[in-house]
Amino acid sequence: MVGYAHFIPLFPFAAFAVNILFGRKLGKMSALVSIGASFISLVIAAVTFIGNSHYGEGSYMIGRWLSFGGISLDFGVTVDPLSCMMLMVVTVVGTLIQVYSIGYMRDDKRYSRFFAYMSLFMGSMLGLLLSDNFVMLYIFWEGVGLCSYLLISFWFERPAAARAGMKAFITTRIGDTGLLIGILLLFFATKTLYFRDLGNLAINDTTLTVIALLIFCGAVGKSAQFPLHVWLPDAMEGPTPVSALIHAATMVAAGVYLVARTYGLFLAHHSSLIWVAYIGAITAFMAATIATVNNDIKRILAYSTISQLGFMMLALGVGGYDGGTFHLMTHAFFKALLFLCAGSVIHAVHTQDIFKMGGLLGKMKATGWTFLIGALAIAGVPPLSGFWSKDEILSEILREGHPILFGVAVVTSLLTAFYMFRLIFVVLFGKPRSELRAHESPAVMTVPLGILAAFSIFAGFFKPVKFEPLMMGVSAAISVTGIGMAYMLYIRNNKILPAPLRARFAFLYRLVSNKYYVDEIYDALIIRPCMRFADIAASFDSRVVDGAVNLTAYLSIIAGKVQCWFDLYVVDGIVNMAANITWLCSAVFRRLQTGLVQNYLLIAFFGLAIMILLKLTGGQ
Amino acid sequence: MIPQSHFLILGAVLFAMGLYGALTRRTAIGILMSIELILNAANINLITFNKFIGNETLGQVFALFVIAIAAASAVIGLVLVIAVYRNMKTIFTEKMNILKW
Amino acid sequence: MMNGLIRQLSDIVNNYGLPQDLVVQASFYVIAGLACVFAFGVVAMRNIFHCAVSLALCLFCVAGVYLFLDAEFLAIVQVLIYVGAIVTLFIFAIMLTANIEDRSIRQANRQVLVSAAVAAAILSFFIFIIIGAPWKAASADSAPGLEDIGRALMSAYALPFEFISLILLAALVGAIVIGKVKK
Repeated sequence: MVGYAHFIPLFPFAAFAVNILFGRKLGKMSALVSIGASFISLVIAAVTFIGNSHYGEGSYMIGRWLSFGGISLDFGVTVDPLSCMMLMVVTVVGTLIQVYSIGYMRDDKRYSRFFAYMSLFMGSMLGLLLSDNFVMLYIFWEGVGLCSYLLISFWFERPAAARAGMKAFITTRIGDTGLLIGILLLFFATKTLYFRDLGNLAINDTTLTVIALLIFCGAVGKSAQFPLHVWLPDAMEGPTPVSALIHAATMVAAGVYLVARTYGLFLAHHSSLIWVAYIGAITAFMAATIATVNNDIKRILAYSTISQLGFMMLALGVGGYDGGTFHLMTHAFFKALLFLCAGSVIHAVHTQDIFKMGGLLGKMKATGWTFLIGALAIAGVPPLSGFWSKDEILSEILREGHPILFGVAVVTSLLTAFYMFRLIFVVLFGKPRSELRAHESPAVMTVPLGILAAFSIFAGFFKPVKFEPLMMGVSAAISVTGIGMAYMLYIRNNKILPAPLRARFAFLYRLVSNKYYVDEIYDALIIRPCMRFADIAASFDSRVVDGAVNLTAYLSIIAGKVQCWFDLYVVDGIVNMAANITWLCSAVFRRLQTGLVQNYLLIAFFGLAIMILLKLTGGQ
Repeated sequence: MIPQSHFLILGAVLFAMGLYGALTRRTAIGILMSIELILNAANINLITFNKFIGNETLGQVFALFVIAIAAASAVIGLVLVIAVYRNMKTIFTEKMNILKW
Repeated sequence: MMNGLIRQLSDIVNNYGLPQDLVVQASFYVIAGLACVFAFGVVAMRNIFHCAVSLALCLFCVAGVYLFLDAEFLAIVQVLIYVGAIVTLFIFAIMLTANIEDRSIRQANRQVLVSAAVAAAILSFFIFIIIGAPWKAASADSAPGLEDIGRALMSAYALPFEFISLILLAALVGAIVIGKVKK
């Protein structure tokens, strides 16, 4: 049953090829090609999943790729609970989002190209999930990054979108460089690149830690952890289905997946895990605070994603493998749902500023209710899926004995509930704050919303429940408190008003609403110097290099002029001089031809006289 | 009684004068007359040698022929002068320089 | 030289008691000198007509010189042909072409000095050669007379004689052709 797993990425890749080559002719059919391929992958993934759960895990080799110096590198597939779960998540969410895109991207000029890129992404992501060694992983890792770039800057006529695509690519590239160095270091230290060998490596602790941290760099880049988180909010310039699929549900999860996949490496020495945990915690807290004061619906969701990914990293960092991966699954469902709902809202009201919206629950029933369900899930309200996964994370943190991190996690959960319901109350309830002509989206968009809402509710039950009443009570309390705070501020508008609060904590407010000035710091420290360097290099090129070339040309011209002068005056001069000498001689001698006979006679007799003289004076 | 050299000197003098005249006269007729002088000088030489070699008729016969030829040449020359005069309306040789450079 | 006309003349002079050789020599020098003078006149006179007349007189003197050389026939031929025909021809040509009255026209061209020098040089060379050469003394044999010349013309020199006639014919024809006035 599991022997067919390697076909899973094949169908989306084929769909990509078809859509790229024949997209123009296919027109609206290209969506069906893409969705069909995703669905077939889904079916095969389901088969694999079932096979895995019945027959246990297996990983097998597909083919030999490189072989040199006694070392060989093969294509292989790894099938275990982690990869099977992720396969299911990616295929289900991917297929639903592509169905949604039929409606969302209906009027777009590059419709078929969009689906081509989506298929390429699906293929790369599925390949990444299935790879059993670092090289394959890296190939698909880069493929996924490429698709992210292509899709963020899909509407590249807008300069903001083009810039966002570049920013995403370059920022994740920095992380990828760390990953590459880590891979190389691993290879030189152990001569193996297979994931299954990572549990028992015979190298010293420092090398192990360094490798683990370098690999974590890649995860930091792809999963938008601090300090490489800056690309994710800007990536919201892309179409909303892209944000949903890539930047909420699947690609950003690749970083978490990487850490989970190489967990053996991290477990070998505890200091690398601590780094993971603390970076996760910092990220989670920071992003949550920024989300509380942001006014753009998609950006709130983007920071929410960053925060939740931080949560997952935190979980993995303290040793909570189960909690982290469980949250990975549930988060995929409800975050995709939230983004698609946001897309539906934006599609209806044509604005992204939440303070221009209001009271949409009445006008857009399907979208509104599914939005609410998603928010409840992320806030961790029982018995939705988010409650179970978050609760597991919190209890694992506590169990492993990290009180500080536990406190940070609790505060972050509170903030999560708060900002999520701030969003809900402002957008869905109350009176409209500006002129809105809202209408519900077509069925092709709302049906996926419904399916995802169902997953958000019930996904928590895919895993066996461990009943811990105390912890669960605490989690539930956190969620309710957060919701309550949001209710107070945004529905009841009682004494604690936003404006005085803002005034009281003015400094904090400014700091947070400007995203802790991280972008500005990067701009000043890194980007400006790089641009300056580029300017210097450019001016060097144009002055020195071009100058040298121009100088050569100039010297050639001068040489040409010298030669010209030489040719004109010296060479021609010699030739002319020869002619002139001839002319002078002839000018002299032609005067002999006077035409007068008597002159000739005179000369003749003169010659005669000379001859006689010579004869007389004894010459021979 | 008169030594041979005196006759020859006379011939030489006449020749020199005829040469001078041929080189300096401006009219064609003048040149022709100088040429007759030269021919006569040659004749004097011929007859002198004829007499002083003895028992020879060659010198006188030759001189006879010279006279005849001088006559013919004078005829042709003068006719040419007349023809040139008709064409160029001048008798001065300085003007007859078409064959120059 | 003592044959022929000069002999007879010198005999006449002898009869008058004058020294024979002296008279002969003196008369030779006079005639030679006249010839030179008239020759100079040919080349130096301004008036062409005067030049022609001077030429005639010079040729007369040359004929006299021929007498001293016992060439009576040639002297007569000289006078007849040269003076009688050729100089007449010259005078006709002068009358047909020249502008005699104009006295201001220079008769000598620009190369007078150089040609005078050349002529003088050649003359001096000739005189030098003539004086320096060892001449034989005069032979007292008889100079050929008219009969000898006539016989020689008809026998030994018949070919040149015929050629001369041809030449004369050619000159005649040529003169007529060139001298024709073209219509």
